Amino acid sequence: MKHGSAPISQFLRLAILAGSLALTAAHADEYGDVNLLMRTGKLAEAQTKVDQYLAAKPRDPQMRFFKGVIQRETGKTNDAIATFTKLTEDYPELPEPYNNLAVLYAGQGQYDKARAALEMAIRTNPSYSTAHENLGDVYAKLASQAYNKALQLDGGSTTAQPKLALIRELFDPNAKGQRPGAQPTPAPAAPAAPATPAATAANSKPAAVATAPAPAAPASPAAPAAKPATADTAAKDVEAAVRAWAKAWAAKDMTTYLGAYGKEFDPPGKQSRSSWESERRQRIVSKNSISVRLENLSVSVNGNKAVAKFRQDYKADALSVTSRKTLDLVKSGERWLIVRESTGT
Amino acid sequence: MTQGFFAFLLIAATGLLTAAPAGAEVGKKIQKNESSANARRNAASNDGVAEARLIEVYRLTGQGKMRDALAKAENLVRDYPNFQLAQLVYGDLLTSRARPLHKFGDVPEALAHKAGATLAELRDESQARIKALRERPPAGTIPSQFLALSPRNKHAIAVDASRSRLYLFENTAQGLNLVADYYISVGKSGIEKMVEGDARTPLGVYFITSNLDPKTLRDFYGSGALPINYPNVLDSKRGKTGRGIWLHGTPPNQFARAPLASDGCVVLANPDLERIIRTVEVRTTPVVISHRIDWVPPHSVRAQSKTFEEALAAWRTAKSNGDLQQLLSFYTADFNSQGKTLREWESALRNEVERVKGRPIQLKDLSYLRWTDAADTMVVTFGEVPDGTRSGPTKRQYWIREGNQWKIFYEGNLG
Repeated sequence: MKHGSAPISQFLRLAILAGSLALTAAHADEYGDVNLLMRTGKLAEAQTKVDQYLAAKPRDPQMRFFKGVIQRETGKTNDAIATFTKLTEDYPELPEPYNNLAVLYAGQGQYDKARAALEMAIRTNPSYSTAHENLGDVYAKLASQAYNKALQLDGGSTTAQPKLALIRELFDPNAKGQRPGAQPTPAPAAPAAPATPAATAANSKPAAVATAPAPAAPASPAAPAAKPATADTAAKDVEAAVRAWAKAWAAKDMTTYLGAYGKEFDPPGKQSRSSWESERRQRIVSKNSISVRLENLSVSVNGNKAVAKFRQDYKADALSVTSRKTLDLVKSGERWLIVRESTGT
Repeated sequence: MTQGFFAFLLIAATGLLTAAPAGAEVGKKIQKNESSANARRNAASNDGVAEARLIEVYRLTGQGKMRDALAKAENLVRDYPNFQLAQLVYGDLLTSRARPLHKFGDVPEALAHKAGATLAELRDESQARIKALRERPPAGTIPSQFLALSPRNKHAIAVDASRSRLYLFENTAQGLNLVADYYISVGKSGIEKMVEGDARTPLGVYFITSNLDPKTLRDFYGSGALPINYPNVLDSKRGKTGRGIWLHGTPPNQFARAPLASDGCVVLANPDLERIIRTVEVRTTPVVISHRIDWVPPHSVRAQSKTFEEALAAWRTAKSNGDLQQLLSFYTADFNSQGKTLREWESALRNEVERVKGRPIQLKDLSYLRWTDAADTMVVTFGEVPDGTRSGPTKRQYWIREGNQWKIFYEGNLG
């Protein structure tokens, strides 16, 4: 049985984090530049920038994090392991370096180490959904190895490598306790007050909005007078779209679920849209049961763009993860479609 | 976590919790083992540890302490990577963290398809281990075969094939004490060996005849081998054939083998066999292999053996008195001693009687073990010592009950 030599999966899910919101303005540009270079595949340039920055500020966790990601992307696995290991030592409260360490270990077939790293990631942040998902995959892989030993089979060829998600960007560790989730977001659009039923009825294209709290309101025509009807309606539509998306996910209704993402949606990692879709399909359909509950949903609308933030209670079989999520949506015709999905903590 | 898996382990756990002696033993072993790595290096304390740790994993699972169970299972497979059943349980506990389990040994379909037979065997092994630990011998009872052991029988072994279990006893002045019991495998085709090559394990009363040097054995036999005297006198009388029935260990790639796995031998995990090898005495330690051990209180055993004891005493009196005709009445018509018929044996007896010249004989270190199947038999061993001498030959007799009468169908000296 040989695991060590298997190539690192090409289907790494890139979890783009909304963390840059929390970065201080001075650093944001530099981080943003590096991030952009990385995302456009200009790794050498990205590395040059990172090295320059670290020459002046050698301890900076975000840049060191980028450095680890670049090392990994350029095949310098051991260097990347060293970088992330050092980050976990210097910033043990950050889950992301543990997560990426786990991805690297898993790539080497060292699943016990990957598991230990992911468990540390979750210990530092229990609602870290990427680590939970990765850990689920690592458990399955370890189980498969144990089963192969139990049955005295040569398991080398029978099970595929798990596809673990690498985190590409670190939250600003200087903004202690101010992870995007905890931050008071600029999204005051009233989610609690039920909007006018007329507006909802007019605009809501997604058919499966039944869960939206629309029916509660019709008897109170007086309340909504204060707000401009259009913004309110738009927020309502966005909320309906988000709830329809969650409902389709839970129902494993892949057509509706994938249909909730716009053409502009940038699949994580270097994946094509189709490989991302097939991965989502595989992840979702393979579950026996899924429940997705959205709490504290807040929506801010700016013209034909909207941002929805909420707490996502995700349960799939034995897995239960609560995480912060941010969806960026764009209005396309009559529909609000997701163009960016990010998990915060 | 589904009900099936839970129910299964709960059954295991509740059974184990009520089995105080086993539980105590399990606890002791675990403490011993986990207290220090030294304990593991010390071979003297290694027997039964792996199973005790597996059962501890079951118990924790049954209590819903999945995280603890997983941690213990992980340590267990690290220490015993070839303990396949432990790997299976470890796999299940890992799986349970990613998705619900539907059954014990919830392996992916592809693996189940590839190795269905092995999977079924591991489930059987698990059941056998649990069963043997749930259904403990009632306190103070002994296998009904052990009617009387002599002080020279410092230990005794009983195998219960129906439980895939070997019980090791220490024979003390106060009687037999169960000191350990181990999971074992028997023949691929089960028990009741009849002919050579039938891959069955023989049933009967046997003795360990030698201790084979592991260096002379193939890896397949693990840490050693203790041959037993199959076919014994009763087996031969019945025309049974075959040879080379051993208690032996497991190959390097398997900590334990399936319940039905051998060509007729009794197979133990190497640490368990090592304990037995260190403990037992060649030639004097009896090994009783039965389909199912009948556990009885020692006093009921004595009551049952009364008619036999009377017959044996009468035989001794006849021999002491030198009354040849009387003596001959104790032997069956089909008596056979290493090819000697009763008629041929008669002249040997006559010589003996004349040598003793009416001096009373004493039966020293007397032991007798009863074997009852279609026939009721007794395997008797003693030193025959005429008064006025210090020692005499060690004799073995096989008796059989004919109606109400016990008679001898074999008699011989032990080397």
